[in-house]
Order: sequence, then C-alpha cells, then structure tokens
Amino acid sequence: MSGTQDGRSPAYVRPMPRTWWLRTHRYRRFALREITSVAVAASSVILLTLLFALSRGRDAYEGFLGWLDSSGAVVLSAIILVGVLYHTITWLRLTAHIQVVRLGRRVLPRRLVLAGLLTLWVAVSAIVAYLHIWL
Amino acid sequence: MTKAKATKPRSSRLEPVVWSLFAAGGTVAALLLPVHVAILGIAYAAGWLPSDALSYDHALDLVRHPITKVYLGVLVALPLYHAAHRLRFVIHHQLGLHGGRRLVAAACYGTALAGTALTVVTLVRI
Repeated sequence: MSGTQDGRSPAYVRPMPRTWWLRTHRYRRFALREITSVAVAASSVILLTLLFALSRGRDAYEGFLGWLDSSGAVVLSAIILVGVLYHTITWLRLTAHIQVVRLGRRVLPRRLVLAGLLTLWVAVSAIVAYLHIWL
Repeated sequence: MTKAKATKPRSSRLEPVVWSLFAAGGTVAALLLPVHVAILGIAYAAGWLPSDALSYDHALDLVRHPITKVYLGVLVALPLYHAAHRLRFVIHHQLGLHGGRRLVAAACYGTALAGTALTVVTLVRI
C-alpha cells in the first residue's frame, strides 16, 4: 500500500508488466485497435503530402505521383489500408454499440444499426470513388 | 511501479473538445480514409484508373473548387485529432511510458494542430 504525497486518499496501484496488453486475446485486439491510429495518421500525412506537392506546381506533383508508383509506396499503402479498414470495422461496431436508434417506441437492434452504418460506408466510398476518378 | 496521480480539474475543461474532435475524426477516418488510400496507394500504381484521373491539370481543377477544399480540409485534419488522442494512450499503455503525461498530450494534440494549420495554408495556396 502506498499513500499519495500530498495527503489525499491513499491509492494502491497494482504493478503491471509492460506487456500486459499482449496477455489475452481481448487485450491484444484492443491494442491492435488503438495502434490502427498510426495508419489513420499516416493516411492523413500522405493526403497532405499530395496537396502540398500540388501547391508547389507541376514538377513537385508529378514527382509525388512517381513515388506513388514505386513498389515501396504500394507496400506501405497496403499496410496502411489494412490498418484503416480495421479502424473502420471496429469504429462502426463501436458506434453501433453506443448509438441507440429509436423508431417510435422500438429500439433498433444493434445488428441493424451496424448493417446500416456498413451500408453507409460502402455508399460513401462508392460516391467518393466516382467523383474522384470520373468527375 | 507507477505513481497514482489525482486527476486535475483544470484539464477537464478541455475534455469535451478533445473528445468531440476524437469522435468526429474517428468517424471521418472510418468512412472516408479507406477509399482514398485504396485509390491513391493501390489503384493508381496498379493501373486501374483512367489515364488522366490523377493528372496535374485534372487534380488542380478538382482541388480548386471551394467544396473540394472544404472536403479535403475535413478529410485531412479531423483524423489527425483522432490519431493524436489514441496515440497519446498508445504511448502510455502499449509503450509503457507513464511519465510526462502533459508533455505527451501537448506533443500529440500540438502535432494535430500544426497539421491542421499546414493543411489550411496548403489548401488556400492551391
């Protein structure tokens, strides 16, 4: 047992090994979900780099396209894509868990909320792809 | 061993802001990032796109539209706050660095703020 130095209520903090989050399947899944934030940040950085290159003119932009075409960029993108897809699945499941949807007096079952969110995601992705590629 | 620290009431004033940005960023990232990564990172290199889909002139036309600029600002900046919030706790929980809570928070959210500023300046200059 240990008390806090400033004389407030004493608290016992159980010592935890550094690798506590590798212990069980549940902990590992949680840690993996949190670590997908690296992929989220990396996606933002890649998009920002594209915009920055675009703002610097034709040569800079075409240089960036050349990098996108390299095998290193493809491998990196594939890893980032797996990460953001895992983020999407876990985030929408989390949203379906938290968000209660009522229809009159009835509460929509979670599975239906999740199905709706996944449908929304597919629809939004299709619209973005259409506008991005063919507009 | 980690030291128990009483939570400071001072930080709780910013908590709703941080949480809103975290949640909004998480939703934007979940709905929009996969398709963008797939198009730019995979489809382009694989040659699945029409030849001028990412050409300089076409990209400039598209990005110069005000609606596109607002969209790109949201798309790039909001996920940074989501990532900043989670990375803050990855540093404490997964990497096991329990000290310097304020420093880590300032570095994470500060990076997101700097990224936002850079995004806005870049979009304005295009």
